[in-house]
Amino acid sequence: MFWKRQIPIAIVALVGTLTLFGWFVDQPDIKSFVDDDATQWYDILASFAIFLGALNLLKLQMQKIIKRKKGWQYSIFAIGGFIFAFTVGFLMRGAYTVNINSAGETPQVVAQVVAGEIGGTIQASEVLLGLIEEDAPLMLEKVHFTGKSVNKVANQLKESGADAKIIPASWGAHLTTNGSFFNWMFFKVFTPLSATMFALLAFLVASAAYRAFRIRNFEATLLLGSGIIIMLGRVPIGSKISSWFVLYVIVLLLGVIVNSWKRNRILTFSTVGIGIILVTIAGIYMGWPIDRPAFAYLPKLQDWIYLVPNIAGARAIMIGIGLGVFATSIRYILGIEKSYIGE
Amino acid sequence: MFSAEIVGAWIAVFLTLAIFSYLYRDNPFYKIAEHIFVGVSAGYWASMYFWTQIQPNLFGRLWPALHEGLSLGFLGKLWYAIYNFFNLIYPPAFPDGGVATGHGMQLTYIIPLILGIMMLLSVFSKFSWFARWGICYVVGMAAGLRAYGFLNSNVIGQVKGSVIPLVGDVSTGAIINGIILLIGTISGLLYFYFSKEHKGWFGTVGKIGIYFLMISFGASFGFAVMGRISLLIGRFTDLKSFGGAAYHHASLWILAAMVILLGIWSFFNKEEKATKGVPIK
Amino acid sequence: MKKLADLVIKLGNVDRRWIFIIIAIVVMYPLFKPLGLPIRPSESSQEVFNTIDALPQGSKVLLSCEYGPSTKPEIHPMAIGVLRHLFEKGHQVYVTCLWPDGQFMAREALEQVAENEYNLTYGEDYVLLGFRPGNEAVIKGIVSDIRKMYTIDSRAIPIADIPMMNGITNISDFDFLFSASAGYPGTVEWVQLAADPTGIPMSTGVTSIQVNEVMPYVDAGQIKGILAGMPGAAEYEKLIGKPGIGTSGMDAQSIAHVVIVLFIIFGNIAYYLERQRSKKTF
Repeated sequence: MFWKRQIPIAIVALVGTLTLFGWFVDQPDIKSFVDDDATQWYDILASFAIFLGALNLLKLQMQKIIKRKKGWQYSIFAIGGFIFAFTVGFLMRGAYTVNINSAGETPQVVAQVVAGEIGGTIQASEVLLGLIEEDAPLMLEKVHFTGKSVNKVANQLKESGADAKIIPASWGAHLTTNGSFFNWMFFKVFTPLSATMFALLAFLVASAAYRAFRIRNFEATLLLGSGIIIMLGRVPIGSKISSWFVLYVIVLLLGVIVNSWKRNRILTFSTVGIGIILVTIAGIYMGWPIDRPAFAYLPKLQDWIYLVPNIAGARAIMIGIGLGVFATSIRYILGIEKSYIGE
Repeated sequence: MFSAEIVGAWIAVFLTLAIFSYLYRDNPFYKIAEHIFVGVSAGYWASMYFWTQIQPNLFGRLWPALHEGLSLGFLGKLWYAIYNFFNLIYPPAFPDGGVATGHGMQLTYIIPLILGIMMLLSVFSKFSWFARWGICYVVGMAAGLRAYGFLNSNVIGQVKGSVIPLVGDVSTGAIINGIILLIGTISGLLYFYFSKEHKGWFGTVGKIGIYFLMISFGASFGFAVMGRISLLIGRFTDLKSFGGAAYHHASLWILAAMVILLGIWSFFNKEEKATKGVPIK
Repeated sequence: MKKLADLVIKLGNVDRRWIFIIIAIVVMYPLFKPLGLPIRPSESSQEVFNTIDALPQGSKVLLSCEYGPSTKPEIHPMAIGVLRHLFEKGHQVYVTCLWPDGQFMAREALEQVAENEYNLTYGEDYVLLGFRPGNEAVIKGIVSDIRKMYTIDSRAIPIADIPMMNGITNISDFDFLFSASAGYPGTVEWVQLAADPTGIPMSTGVTSIQVNEVMPYVDAGQIKGILAGMPGAAEYEKLIGKPGIGTSGMDAQSIAHVVIVLFIIFGNIAYYLERQRSKKTF
């Protein structure tokens, strides 16, 4: 129990206190440990946690296959995907390039091979070969996936008399090097999958807009009103919608409010009628400018809602969350909150 | 001509459309793509974290590359003998002569190494509690960092930010907006205060608060729609370019094939069809 | 009249896959036939532009990329726009990433802007330090000693061999910070652990979803301006006078928003009619 319970709580308390007071202490040794090494340990442990996650995932999918649970066939794809990503991450890097250290005795022949490799004319390649110096070899831009294909080019170059060297991407840097398998996997497998998963939500949000957003009360009206104004006002089409159109819509909405409030047809119609007449007179008088009066011009109206009432609400939430996180963090450090050991 | 780029484009289009096929109903294409995603992500994350942190910053500190002519003592030789063993197993991460990532030797880093290995051992249910120590380190540190950050930036910073500018070159509009902002923030905060019953003046203030919160939620909704649509535009832009002649019209071919296959599959899975997969009303 | 109401109610309960198809068409169409709607910079985008524009020549700028493929359409055009602006003004750019995906995104953006458009030298004009795991702890490390966090860059070149890293030890050696962020860890953490404690001027570009989470910081002056979602990116492209991916998406974005607003209105009319009818039957 001591190892499983007391020690973990003590670790949280100690590390939490050190980190928190690291902000206020001016002792160089403590500060250096807290700011640099302790954070590095955190980063290292976070990395191990990722490995743990991957192992757990494998375990789960394996169990599914072994026990022939429903849909176990799909688990094969999950494990296959992992093996593929692991292989290109740790075993096969690709991204080979060729450096020419010197063009040798017959630069014309070498230039032919180079031109075939990077495209362009033989003359241009000769010029490039002429630029080679002792410390500045010519790096051919073309990147090869496999050792076989790069060897072929290197051998051609050597046969034509050049001093060529194959340069593989260094391990670690191979992750994001152009022409590495890992880089290919990122853009051709990982990207479409993760991006499309998120893009699916566009459809679901549209369908929710159609079916779920109902004006049931004043609060819902405010919510939808501000949502619609932001949606229209923030995109280019918002600046094409005349403020006079918005004013007419406001008059109509006013009519709806009066109707549901007083339930009197004459009052409703006279409100709408007077409103329309007033807006029309003002419009004729001002010459219907698209962005005036400014308060009804969507981009301006949007900016005001966005920068004033919206921020007021968002700030209230932010302060609330801030206090909440602060309190929870302190509870963790003091050992009152122990959910991390399942209590 | 099958270059890696073109093969990649066909795979990308297939995976994209397979995920989109969920909109029709849950189907094998979607399930396959979903599972590939899970597996590839795990391998991808593991590779990234290993090569950006564990290898350079952990092994690089435990077994830094040795300078030429440096002679090790007995313990040092023993220590590097462990390294040489790793070097035999997996030289890419443990190259000859130590990890050259610019660190000096820092043996205190054995502690995170041990905690990390304990974490990994917790996959075996017998050692499941082994992960706790490492997790507790992460929890403790996150708590310490957040306690300060959230109090300073989200509470104190925001209180400072609510100050209404009165002196200097300030327009009436700015003052009015400042007052609205302040009223909104305070009433919104009071709405979250549940230790007192929302009645009388306190109830009214809470009511005003909720109006501000609703406007804010509305804006969030507007932004949510905006964001999702942008992501969809991104996907369609990719599909459009993969549909071009340079990629042998990958998008069109795969779309056609998938529609036909889904049609056949639906035909043979009629009993499921009754539920239609998407019963939201 | 009754038939019309019937039709509206029926349409209000249509299978949602019809809605999916409409959205797909509406987003797809402007990509093939652009409308060229005018883009108008908002106040907060203008502030980002002004802040970057006012940096003294040769400033050292820390650009942090916290986004991936899933949010690329929103953030990538911002990163490209900001890079163009920075390089146009002759600043040195240091790129870090708190997300693993960010390293790929940053490499792509740098390849496009620094290498192809501006022909700059790696290690002298820009450097991709790359991704480090650890979320907020990475920020804390960069703030206190960047050389412990990064001993090699993303190309595995030792930091000591990179000329522009000379004299850079921690965040106070940078003049400006820009976080291109799509969530946690990102803008919020940079404000809490870097901008607020050290006072380094900071701007940000975020996804639409995140805007409200970050806006109070902008209002309180903790962040200088914000680029909000793809429209924010398009506005920035307009400000620097170089239209790109953001701008080309704006037509589709506009039309899709109008259609969703119409959906909301139509859905509510159908709901209203249905409610009226059910009241009568009782």
